[in-house]
Amino acid sequence: MTTQAAAKVVPVDDFVREELYPGYKQPFGSQPFVAGPVRPFSKADNSRYWLRDSLHFSEGMVPASIATLDDAQTWGAQLGAEIVGVPPTRGSVNRLAGTHVYIGIIDVDTDWQIQARADRFGDYVGPILADFDRYWAMRAGELQSAYDHFDNLDLAGMDPGQLWTTVKDAYAFHRRAWFIHFEVMYVLTANYLAFYQLAEEIGLGGSVVSALLAGEQTFYGKTDEELWRLAGRARDLDVSAPLRHADPADMRRQIEALPNGRIWWGEFEEFLRTYGWRMEETCRVDTPSWVEDPAPALYNIGTFLSKPESFDFHAARQLAVAERDAQIEAARRAVNGSDLQRFNEALAGNQAANFAWWNEEHNYLIDRRAAIPVRRASLELGARLAADGRIDRPDDLFYLFKPELFEVLEGGAARWPDLAAMIPDRRAYFEHWRQRGPELPTMLGTIPDVVPDPIMIEVFGLSGHFLETLKGGPAEVTELRGFPASKGVVEGVARVITTVTDISRVQPGEILVCGGTTTEWTPVFGIIKACVCDTGGSLTHAAIVSREYGIPCVVGTAAATQTIKTGDRIRVDGRQGTVQVLAGQEH
Amino acid sequence: MSGTEAAGSAVLDLADIRITDSPRVGPKVARLGHLAAAGWPVPDGYAVTADALGRWLPAAARSELAAMLAEPGPDADLHHLARRAQELIESHPLPPWLREAVVQAHQRLRARTGLGRRLRVAVRSSAISEDGTRASFAGQYATFLGVGDADAVLHHIRKCWASGFTAHALHYRRRAGDDQLHEHDLAVGVLELVNARSAGVVFTLDPVTGNRGRAVVEANWGFGESVVSGQVTPDRWVVDKTTGAIVERAIGAKHVWSALDEAADTVVLAPQAADLAARPCLDDDEVRYLCAKAAEIESREGVPQDVEWAIARGSPLPHSVFILQHRPETAWAQTDEAPAAPAAPTQGKAFDPVQYALRNVFKVPGT
Repeated sequence: MTTQAAAKVVPVDDFVREELYPGYKQPFGSQPFVAGPVRPFSKADNSRYWLRDSLHFSEGMVPASIATLDDAQTWGAQLGAEIVGVPPTRGSVNRLAGTHVYIGIIDVDTDWQIQARADRFGDYVGPILADFDRYWAMRAGELQSAYDHFDNLDLAGMDPGQLWTTVKDAYAFHRRAWFIHFEVMYVLTANYLAFYQLAEEIGLGGSVVSALLAGEQTFYGKTDEELWRLAGRARDLDVSAPLRHADPADMRRQIEALPNGRIWWGEFEEFLRTYGWRMEETCRVDTPSWVEDPAPALYNIGTFLSKPESFDFHAARQLAVAERDAQIEAARRAVNGSDLQRFNEALAGNQAANFAWWNEEHNYLIDRRAAIPVRRASLELGARLAADGRIDRPDDLFYLFKPELFEVLEGGAARWPDLAAMIPDRRAYFEHWRQRGPELPTMLGTIPDVVPDPIMIEVFGLSGHFLETLKGGPAEVTELRGFPASKGVVEGVARVITTVTDISRVQPGEILVCGGTTTEWTPVFGIIKACVCDTGGSLTHAAIVSREYGIPCVVGTAAATQTIKTGDRIRVDGRQGTVQVLAGQEH
Repeated sequence: MSGTEAAGSAVLDLADIRITDSPRVGPKVARLGHLAAAGWPVPDGYAVTADALGRWLPAAARSELAAMLAEPGPDADLHHLARRAQELIESHPLPPWLREAVVQAHQRLRARTGLGRRLRVAVRSSAISEDGTRASFAGQYATFLGVGDADAVLHHIRKCWASGFTAHALHYRRRAGDDQLHEHDLAVGVLELVNARSAGVVFTLDPVTGNRGRAVVEANWGFGESVVSGQVTPDRWVVDKTTGAIVERAIGAKHVWSALDEAADTVVLAPQAADLAARPCLDDDEVRYLCAKAAEIESREGVPQDVEWAIARGSPLPHSVFILQHRPETAWAQTDEAPAAPAAPTQGKAFDPVQYALRNVFKVPGT
């Protein structure tokens, strides 16, 4: 062993100041943001529109999730927009109504800045689109190697210093993952919008574009296929009964008590090792992954077992691909000869760098996974703090804000009693707002006449109809209009679901009516007859998955969950984009 | 009708042409007259009206031509049909009243320019309809540069009119569902050929991005034909219209140029000397001045413009600059018709995602 020399310190003491210049203190939190951090609403926010993002965050955010939200839809979006040089927007910013997330777009407000961004935008985007496969493989590889690191850490065996370092690493990685998210998203968005623009110019109409890019296999598509396969195995091995009827907490015990139960459970665990690294919502560090709590996966399998027949994924996919190819052929026939080359190049370029595909595919690497390392390290830390008596239970840690946690763990231990005392109130506050979630307005601030941004239209569904419906306010409506997202006409009984945790109430053959769907809703598409959403355009999750499953879907209706009641008999026309309420609740 | 009546309206001096004469002389020449009347530097000249040319062929020849155009047949036979139509047209000399009017107008032009026998002119087809304007700009109707005396002008006027019946033009007519013989669809402008040191086009918007905050200049040495016909990679400047700053410049490898062959009275594409090929054909002041003038035309017209211009040898700025023609910018809406659209950033591709993305949500101000 060598003796370490005492570190040499040149003291900064003479230069320590409260102020940067006389009369100027730097405002907290102003530094890392290109445009602005997550904030509560202020009066000034009345001047622009704020869309409730129930698409990504249906239940509200605990304090710790506000840091991850900051990383994602604010910092990540803003840095991505800045680096890519997206001309008209500096990304998105979030406001909170209670604990609920609203999203706003930050315009670049001077002509010079827009022009300067446009000038560098092409330099950044062009080379990436020219070789997207290699580029995405590089980014996905970076993310995957981080997961290989974090997933295999022996957290329980770490000393406190190592564990705290891991928490910090996990946060740093989370932030990086979200920069990648928005970098790729803006690049692919450009490609998609270019195709959209071309389709408009040559008379096809931009709205056909998403259908021309459909039908690509995604990781979550494979996950659903695996869940159906496991349902089939449960039938073969005769373990269906507990999967359909047991309390999730007792399910494993009941399954393993059956003769082939351990075989099935072993296969299920094998499945989780590959497909289980997903959380229920984006940025929500307070929600478990399937690896930690497989209840959602087991519920999905149980639901599939309630249908008499297995779902033929192969046939459904072939149908979806055939439908897409037919649309491509129809488009080629409709295009003038002189435009065909541009159309073919745009299609090929978009197939090679496919936003419609990536918009679904990236979830397993970023949206539903990036916060898992933060959650796992935080829970281990919470368990130790609970054992030390600092807090009551491990997940109390999620009711501290990230700056509070960093302060208290980096020398401010004296604050523990104050912080711990606030946790019960904060839990109550979260619960209060969780319950108020369904009644919150879809849009706050100044409702615009038109939103020109096709991404806000295609992903969030801010069409003219949508905005008109919002302006009209609540009324006795018997017909809703939205985007015709997946064709077909059916009548059936509505089931209104406002948060994903209520999804187990959906019965086979019902029509799902909801704010919007995300990845964890996917399996329910295997049992429903049709889907109707408040938000969303032709590129949203519900639209894509409905097409894959071949069920009618209307999205972007603005007011379905407020107009339709569970039990109403409704008629969904996925070609016209209409939903009619035929009769009130049936009992 | 008497010969003098017909001759009186058959040929108009540029100084007498107003924008309202567009149905008679075509918008291309009418706009030039409009500019001249407002004191702009445009080449002097005269125009032979479309109705005069429409009365040129005897009735029998017109019926024969109309019958030819109505003949059904595959597109592959269009070359044959075109040759027959053109032979028919060119076999008929212009009537004496029209010849006389042209000769007199040419004499007046020689006197006004003070060039006498040294006068060289451009004989330009000038389509009456805007649709025809596009076709004419796209090179479907003929233009002849460097034409010398009145006899040669008369000859080339007939060739201009006949150029409405090339295979290419017939194909265009067919696509437009137009198999009728329109008797008033083409006028001819005869304009002094500016002795151009450099020439080219200004687009008052960026034809790649559609950005109206910018103007783009494309130019080569000599006459503008090498630029307009796309036979050279021109020098290219992008200018911020607000500040006048040159924000981009690309000096083309200008291996050829359009030069006057004095012996043959025509403009030919000639090889360029290596040192000139690599040297910018305009200085920055000229670039900015051209953009400023083009922007003025744009604001007079209210819509983005393509402006063809030439810089004459031997005079200092601003006296050296001539506006040769301008028209509403259509390349933006009609990309496949754009004759001189610069190469998209992705070479050899018809579709550049960046360009199209910038037109849409990622658009820039004023587009």
